Amino acid sequence: MTELQSDTQWPRWEIFKQDTEKRPYQGVGSVHAGDPDHALLTARNVFVRRPAAVNLWAVREDDILNATPEEVGMHPEVLDTPGEADTYHVGIKKTHKRSMTFVDLVESVEATGPGDALRQAQAQHPDALAWLVFPDSAIARTDDDPGTVESWFAPAKDKTYKQQQYYGVIGKHVGELKREGRMPRRATEEPHAGDHKVYDHPHDATTEELKIHEVQKSEVQK
Amino acid sequence: MTAPTTILSAVQQAALIRKLTALADDEIILAQRGGEWTGHAPILEEDIALANIAQDELGHAGMYLELRRALDGSDADALAFTRSADEFSSSRFVELPKGDWAFTMLRQYLYDAYEALWLDAARKSTYEPLAEVANKAFREERFHLQHTALWVERLALGTPESMKRTQDALNALWPYVGQLWQPVEGEAGLIEAGLLPDLNAVRTRWEGLIVPHLRVQCGLILPPGGAEQPGRDTHTEYLVPLLDEMQRVYRAHPDTPYW
Repeated sequence: MTELQSDTQWPRWEIFKQDTEKRPYQGVGSVHAGDPDHALLTARNVFVRRPAAVNLWAVREDDILNATPEEVGMHPEVLDTPGEADTYHVGIKKTHKRSMTFVDLVESVEATGPGDALRQAQAQHPDALAWLVFPDSAIARTDDDPGTVESWFAPAKDKTYKQQQYYGVIGKHVGELKREGRMPRRATEEPHAGDHKVYDHPHDATTEELKIHEVQKSEVQK
Repeated sequence: MTAPTTILSAVQQAALIRKLTALADDEIILAQRGGEWTGHAPILEEDIALANIAQDELGHAGMYLELRRALDGSDADALAFTRSADEFSSSRFVELPKGDWAFTMLRQYLYDAYEALWLDAARKSTYEPLAEVANKAFREERFHLQHTALWVERLALGTPESMKRTQDALNALWPYVGQLWQPVEGEAGLIEAGLLPDLNAVRTRWEGLIVPHLRVQCGLILPPGGAEQPGRDTHTEYLVPLLDEMQRVYRAHPDTPYW
């Protein structure tokens, strides 16, 4: 840190969520929090109110080392980043497709430090778009006793999860407008790059879609 | 929802309706106060968290009013959005303005502890539909309680400023908290019949939980309590303006469809 200490934000924590016991932990985003317990509580609220989960990990951003192949090429010394010997968890980013998750934790390795762990990640997964490593000791974990699982994760299963398009506009459901042929043609064309959608999350609506909502609103006002 | 299997006398049914309404009213008013923070909480994460908590409380109100509907066919929306202040049976504790973050977190903590422990006891109700609802809501309340207990502790042990605000909040809230324990008319009969938890026993557990937390863990000073509590028909001056805002849209457009 330089002498410039104007950032009053709490530390940032990366959140990794496990959907079921058999699934890998996946990076879902980050929260700001004062301490590990606080990070897990806010993460539960932000990321697990509805989608299913059985475990959450929070890891301070300072404890995470990540790099893209380009970064390793330009700064190979990142592979010598010193630190504690530990079991390191390895996450890899495999696609540029936008999604609710962006990194899967694929394995853990024994390493002499974060640089060594990154080197092993690079060797094991040469095709990854980015690698991420952190030591096991840096993880704040949710408890796995039945009481915690019941109060943290079970309620989400009873909560419905509506896609954005479900909402339409007041008095008219989008489906109704479509059936009446009153939706602008672009409405059914989802943005594609090559042959796959460029977003797959309802929050990632494009400006085209937002325009459609404007059109609907003005039609209702007429 | 399973059909009520317990046969209630007319007196019991009337008392149970009063109790369910009082429970729902506290939830509705506190949810409204929580909702007032939406977009204004200290950080985005807590904004989302408090909105979640408020939404959960509103969900519990919906469950209590659904139990009431099964008894008298009343409509939850009509009850929430068309009754006037003197028809509400909320406690003054939940009506008080939202205050600062310390006040909001401390009130929510005291309330979550009360609700979690009441629900825990209500899981053994001989009135099955209530036991079912209690089982469901208890899970969420346990989580709320963890969250708000953490905040009270962090604020009380934080800076001199946050400590002062938390103590001020406790001084302001403590004289009102006892009204949560005011029984509705006929509640004693329902307790005796095993339909409702014994309020005194729940209160003893509650004190055993929150007093050490506030005093020992958080280093706060409990103000003297024990003031005579009015019944749930006594409200603060804050309830009328709160309802005015909460009910405005429904009253202006009672027939508007919604999703």
